[in-house]
Amino acid sequence: MTLYHFGNCLALVYAPYHMAYKFSGISEYATFSKCVYAGGLYIFTQLCKMLLLATFFPDSDNIQSGGEYDVFLEILKATVDLADLLGIYVALNSIPGKGHAKILTAAIGWASAEVLVSRSVLLWVGARGSEFDWRYVRSCAESNVSLLQHAASAALVWLCARSDLPRRLLPPAAALLLLVPYRALLEEALAGALALSAWGLLALRAAHALGVALAALAMYATLVQHSALS
Amino acid sequence: MWLDQADGFAEIFRGYLPYYLLVVFPIFIIMSPANPVAASHEFSVYRMQQYDLHTVPHGCRSASFNLEGRSLSSWSMSRHCVVARIQDITIDQFVEIRSKAGALLLVLPKNDTLLTDEQKEHIKLLEMAMMQQDIGIPVYFAEWTPEFEDIIKDLQHSFITDDKSGTALEAMFNTVSSNGYQIVVSAPTPAKIDSKPVTIHGKLVGRSGAAQTIVIAAHYDSSSVIPELSFGADSNASGAVAVVELARIFSRLYSAAATRGGPSLVFMLTSTGHSLNYFGTKKWLEEHLDAVDASLLQDISFVMCLDSISSSPLTMHVSKPPKAGSPAQSMKARLGAPLVHKKINLADEFLAWHHERFSIRRMTAFTISSLQSHKDPSRNTLLDTPSESSFRNIADNIAATARALASHIYNLTEEDNEEDSILYDEALGVDEASIRHWYKFLSSQPRSPQVITSTAPNGGVTGALERALSKYLETTVSAHALDKREPEYALYSPTRAILYVYSVKPAVFDLILTLAIVAYLTLVYFAIQLFPRFYEEYAKVVTGKAKVN
Repeated sequence: MTLYHFGNCLALVYAPYHMAYKFSGISEYATFSKCVYAGGLYIFTQLCKMLLLATFFPDSDNIQSGGEYDVFLEILKATVDLADLLGIYVALNSIPGKGHAKILTAAIGWASAEVLVSRSVLLWVGARGSEFDWRYVRSCAESNVSLLQHAASAALVWLCARSDLPRRLLPPAAALLLLVPYRALLEEALAGALALSAWGLLALRAAHALGVALAALAMYATLVQHSALS
Repeated sequence: MWLDQADGFAEIFRGYLPYYLLVVFPIFIIMSPANPVAASHEFSVYRMQQYDLHTVPHGCRSASFNLEGRSLSSWSMSRHCVVARIQDITIDQFVEIRSKAGALLLVLPKNDTLLTDEQKEHIKLLEMAMMQQDIGIPVYFAEWTPEFEDIIKDLQHSFITDDKSGTALEAMFNTVSSNGYQIVVSAPTPAKIDSKPVTIHGKLVGRSGAAQTIVIAAHYDSSSVIPELSFGADSNASGAVAVVELARIFSRLYSAAATRGGPSLVFMLTSTGHSLNYFGTKKWLEEHLDAVDASLLQDISFVMCLDSISSSPLTMHVSKPPKAGSPAQSMKARLGAPLVHKKINLADEFLAWHHERFSIRRMTAFTISSLQSHKDPSRNTLLDTPSESSFRNIADNIAATARALASHIYNLTEEDNEEDSILYDEALGVDEASIRHWYKFLSSQPRSPQVITSTAPNGGVTGALERALSKYLETTVSAHALDKREPEYALYSPTRAILYVYSVKPAVFDLILTLAIVAYLTLVYFAIQLFPRFYEEYAKVVTGKAKVN
């Protein structure tokens, strides 16, 4: 609509990231460069994924425009997102510090890079046009949810990579981790089954991300307890 | 605690964020195009007719606008573009919109044939009212689409109003829930079209000795409130088809010396009809009467103009009742058409019928038409579209005219003999396939003067008619020039434009959105601030023990 509207959207995107960085305490570790590094890793991972997708699913765009929805193909494509977990793992390894700082730094860097690469252009082009659409506000809110999502994923990756993880926690952590690449697919399938609107889907995503994050937090708390006791 | 938080908030704005944004944003804004996004709705629309006749302006005088769309009931000022269905708007409403609104967008009916007679009559009257005066605001017409139907419904049920009734909360809710539409047309300012009216004529030479000439004339343009949608099936595709068909019939008769008639026949088609006061005919007459070589129009027996002949019965319009025993009287008797007499009124802005142009030059002239009055609104309507029943009437009328003309030319008094009448039918039979073809072709082409006089004379409808006539007789195409200093008429472009409809929200909406976002961010802030305490409690619940480290 107007520049003012664009400002609104920008505030919605930027402020939570900024607050997460400032007030979570990781800024005390002076890890801004590490955030940038994680962001760079994100972009590199996406390029690798694109290469993979273009090699193994060359005509996937045609199928989408054709209207056919091949579940198996979609699952295979989502599997490529496992590369994201690998990227997060590399980012976690290269960040020094305590567990929670590592996780948050990687998650913020990763999610900001995603916002910058995949949402900012759409926002810049769309939200400033004369046309009003709830889509842009929704996309901004979605980027907040994705920050939570990435934090949960990073925490799960960190947990699974720990050698001192209690044995009984490994199966649930690994299961949640393996589900991460398919979460978008699952959410969309559920939204389709429930005939949810776009806002409903967003709420579903938020709820899902919150659930996974709480589960990861519980495991983190247990791990901390465990390592403190032993 | 509270002071701490205030400090934290301030920090966001105290950080590096605002400073680099101050630099980066202006650069981005300067670099990026003004309107980077395409509208979600894009329509091809037609601008209302605009022309000057003897420097008197007619029609819509402006083209561009960028206004908020409103329905017929909710518009209130000159910053609104009224969007309505053409069958919904009354003439009184139109008069008010013309003087007070910012623009008018009318959506044409989905299907002409589904309109009731009352609605058709209403549209014709509305068109007449619209063309009566010049209009300062832009007026556009759009063809029906489902998207337009949605937009009109949205506007009709919109909560956006200017009155301040209701509580503030209600108003706030309305601004969030309702859709507004910004309607934009960016068209060039109206400019005069380089108009070159033409007249096509051809002559069939009669038997030597008899120097009398009969002229058969028609105009082939059409007129309605929308130049691009003037299909004019009745007025005057029917007349033009009749001239072509008569040329075909008589060229066959005149090709053999034995059946050649006495008088010469001149067939003429002109590209500027009643809407422009038969300008082409006037110029054509000047050229052929006042020139040194005035052989074409020597000794005119009568001039027969054909105008709107797609219903029955036919009527003969004259400006002077024909004397008994004159050729015109003989034609009238043979056609069996009633006579309507109307004197030429030179003080009138418009000439009533085509034959008046000839009558002014002291020729015996009459118009054959199925209309009773020259004021009939169906001569200037966009509803003038082809139909099968009109086609049947045209074919019958052409046959009747051909018969009457032949019987006049060969001076036959009796047709009672059955053998003879079969002979006539053979010689004078109309070729229905050809009539149908031409009728379909002409009534599928927009033939307003704006369209046909701005294309090259050998292209478009003019070129097609010229080629058709030249199959039967030698044709000449004469282009007429307008007076440089005082043009008799002026036509204006653009006749069509692209209309963009943006869905927008009221300005207050963004303010409300800002409030909502600020509330949300405050919530996020507290969530982050309270996270350590939450974690402590949560860990206690999960592990069942107090946190150790």
